[in-house]
Amino acid sequence: MKNKLRELRASREWSQSDLADKLVVSRQTINAIETEKYDPSLPLAFKVARLFKLPIEDIFEPDKE
Amino acid sequence: MTKKPNVPGEIFLGNKDYSIRMDWKVSGWLFLATLISCFSDIMFPRVVQQWPLGWRVTVAMIPFLLILLWIRNLAQWIHGMDELHRRITVVAILFAVSSTFFFVMLWHRLDVTGFFSAIFPRRSSWDIATVGHAFLLLTFFYFLGHTIFNRRYK
Repeated sequence: MKNKLRELRASREWSQSDLADKLVVSRQTINAIETEKYDPSLPLAFKVARLFKLPIEDIFEPDKE
Repeated sequence: MTKKPNVPGEIFLGNKDYSIRMDWKVSGWLFLATLISCFSDIMFPRVVQQWPLGWRVTVAMIPFLLILLWIRNLAQWIHGMDELHRRITVVAILFAVSSTFFFVMLWHRLDVTGFFSAIFPRRSSWDIATVGHAFLLLTFFYFLGHTIFNRRYK
């Protein structure tokens, strides 16, 4: 799954640790999501969407079949 | 104020996140169980064997009671992790438990066939079904499993 987390985080000048603190996850989790090695759970994806005040589909995009 | 999630590095000796307080909080009961088990393994043939049956059973059961307390602490610690680390840790634990089971069973079968006594005839017992051995094997396979599965998300 593709995502725009890195761009959104950079636009707010947050570090990975800042974002991790805001989402109550580890920095490794943020890094794994940004590098698309890990797809977040639905609750975490909603948390991200709420934090950036964007619809979930504007941040996460499923892979094309 | 947000509460930081537990991370496995907190109990990995030598890791930058290592915390002796967290390590003790998670693994304290297991350490105590291993100590008592090793001590009773030494004492059983000499001293404890002379005691009444009730006392002997109690001494033998203490490590298992402590292991239950350790499992409770471990479950609480895993529950406090974020989702990525919870996934890695659960997979590493499954890997550790199944590998330990496989290893102990394989060792036992080899022991029964006389494999070890044929190679080392001086030593009589090659039994590894003790809490101490299980603890060492579980720890080894847990760290191995964690290293393998964690690498994927680095």
